[in-house]
Parts: sequence; structure tokens; C-alpha cells
Amino acid sequence: MTWLLGPYTEARTYRVAAYLLLGLGLGIFEFTILVTGFSLGLGLLVTIVGVPVLVATFLVARALATIERRLARSWLDAPLPRRRLARPEPGGVFWARLRSLTTAPRTWAEVAFLMLRLPMAVLDFAFITALIGAILGGFAQPIVVAAGVDTQIGSWTIDTFAESLIFIPISIIFLLVGARLVLGWGGLSRRLAAHFLGRVDVAELKQEVLDILARSEGADAFRVLDELGLRLGHGSFLTPTRVEATLLALQSSGHVTVRRDGSRPIFTPA
Amino acid sequence: MDEFGELALREREARRIARRQWFWLHLAVFATLQVFLFVVWALGSESYPWFIFPLFGWGIPIAAHAVYAFVVQDAEEIMVQRAMRQGGEQE
Repeated sequence: MTWLLGPYTEARTYRVAAYLLLGLGLGIFEFTILVTGFSLGLGLLVTIVGVPVLVATFLVARALATIERRLARSWLDAPLPRRRLARPEPGGVFWARLRSLTTAPRTWAEVAFLMLRLPMAVLDFAFITALIGAILGGFAQPIVVAAGVDTQIGSWTIDTFAESLIFIPISIIFLLVGARLVLGWGGLSRRLAAHFLGRVDVAELKQEVLDILARSEGADAFRVLDELGLRLGHGSFLTPTRVEATLLALQSSGHVTVRRDGSRPIFTPA
Repeated sequence: MDEFGELALREREARRIARRQWFWLHLAVFATLQVFLFVVWALGSESYPWFIFPLFGWGIPIAAHAVYAFVVQDAEEIMVQRAMRQGGEQE
């Protein structure tokens, strides 16, 4: 019983419910902005005007993704990178910066998330309002009947007090499982946000690892993983396999050299 | 393989098992619901096999999930495995 009712005493449950309820407005806003921006930008691409429109849309998408990231982290406790990553400097030329913005996998993951936000938010909103309705509906039925309002379900008219009590057990069941359902549904949104917004691109991870190795003047993979955890936090974006692959990539590109200290390889910047 | 390589290997293995468990759970829910829909159709008077629509509608995502669970590998995973193979060949 504590497992079922315990979440009602936790602030997290209400944060998740608020995220599911309020996401619809944000989803509509984001979808409208992006669809308008991209269609206008692509349509005007034959003239020079399309380029600044597309650039502005990408920048707005990045800003919206930052808001979404903050929301997901604070309301859903989504495991996202803790701070803005030091992106590899593409150089001062406008076109190089533009290319860097439009070719980064993170940008496209953010755009995909923002486009998915509307259909997801519609489902979230439908779920949470249906759940609140199912919980409150049964308890409200006797009041509705007492107020003299009949409820029609198919050919059945609920117009007596005894009939109105039938829905109370159903509401009690929904009340018992409601908080768990909210947390479970919120878990799906959390996974989605973590998948799309919690990306750390290979180039960004390489930059972080190089920075750590330069500061520590050489470190083994365990230390690199610990340092990255301190900098970025923990989540699916930071796994031993990703760290191992990044070190291998840096090693094969000649950015890092390896020496042996006992059984452990020590990585130093070349 | 060094200590960190073993840690990474265990992590990949755990992820692979989790992926497959999610797939089996998905398949179980799918199968249960499809059997239920089939029984409803079989017991009903309607001859039109309407149950095939959810069967295929959900069957395609099930197939995609199976590919993700059993075939797809992350780029990092492929890279590490390739390096391990190369290391093994050199030794």
C-alpha cells in the first residue's frame, strides 16, 4: 500500500504531473515556431533571405531545447549533461560556424525532440486529464446526481443516488494506482528527453577528454571516467564504452599517446 | 584486456541484456493483446477479419524493436570491438 500511496506525499509526483499537463502549450508553441521557420526558410532558399531565416530557426531551436533541457532536468529528474559542453571551436568565419551548427548531430536530435514534443504532449495531456477525470469522476457522481443532473452512459441514465455510488470503487482503484501511473508515464517522457536532449556528441566528448588529460598531464581511463562524471553528471551519455571508444579514437588520430603503468594504460596528450 | 576494458565489456553486456528483456516484455504484451483481439473476433458474429489491422499496425514496430534489440549496435560498440579484434590479431 505504501508503494501505491507513497508517491502522493512526494513533490516529484506533482512535478511530473505538471510537466505532463503543461507540456501541451509548450509543444504547440515549439511546433508552430519550427514548422513556420523551416518551411519559410526552405521556401525562400532560392533567394538569399532563406539563409538568415534558417539560421534564426536553428538558433531558436537551440534556445528552446535549452529550456526543454532545464524543464526535463528539474521536473522529470532526467539524467542530462550537467553543463553546457565546451564545443570545439569551429573558427570565426560565419559559414564555418553555420556548418558546425547544422552538421552537429546534437542540433538534429534537438530539432527531432522539439518536433516530437507536440504529439507526445497531446498524449501526455490526454493521459493526465483522463486519469484526473477517472479519479474525480466517481467521487463527483453522487454530487452531480444530488444537484439534479442526470448522466447518460449509452442507454443507461444515472439518476438515483444508489446508481451514482457504482463508480466510486472504480475511482478508488484509479486513486490507488494514479500516482504510480503518473510516475510511470513520466518515466517515458524522461527517457525520451534523455535520449534526444542528453546527447553528447563524439567531438564534444573528445574535447572534454583532451581537456582532462591536458590538465592532469596524463590519466588512466578510470580517472577520465570519474572526471567526466564530475563535469557532466551521469547518464547514458557517459558510459565506460563511450569513454573507451573516445580514448581509442584520440589514440588512433594521434592526439593521445599511451604508456603502461603496471597493467593500466596511462593516456597523455601528444 | 585491461581492467577498464572489462568494465566496459560488462556494461555493454548489461545494456544488451536490458534491451532484449524490454523486447521480450513488449512481445509478451503484443501477443497477449493480439490473442485477446482474435478471441473477440472469433466469438463475435462479424466475418471481416478486423483483428489483422492491429496485428500488422503493431507488428511493424515489434519487428523494428526486434532489429534494435538483436541486430543494431552503437557506433562506439562497433569501434571498441574492432579495436579489440585488431589487438587480438596483433598479439
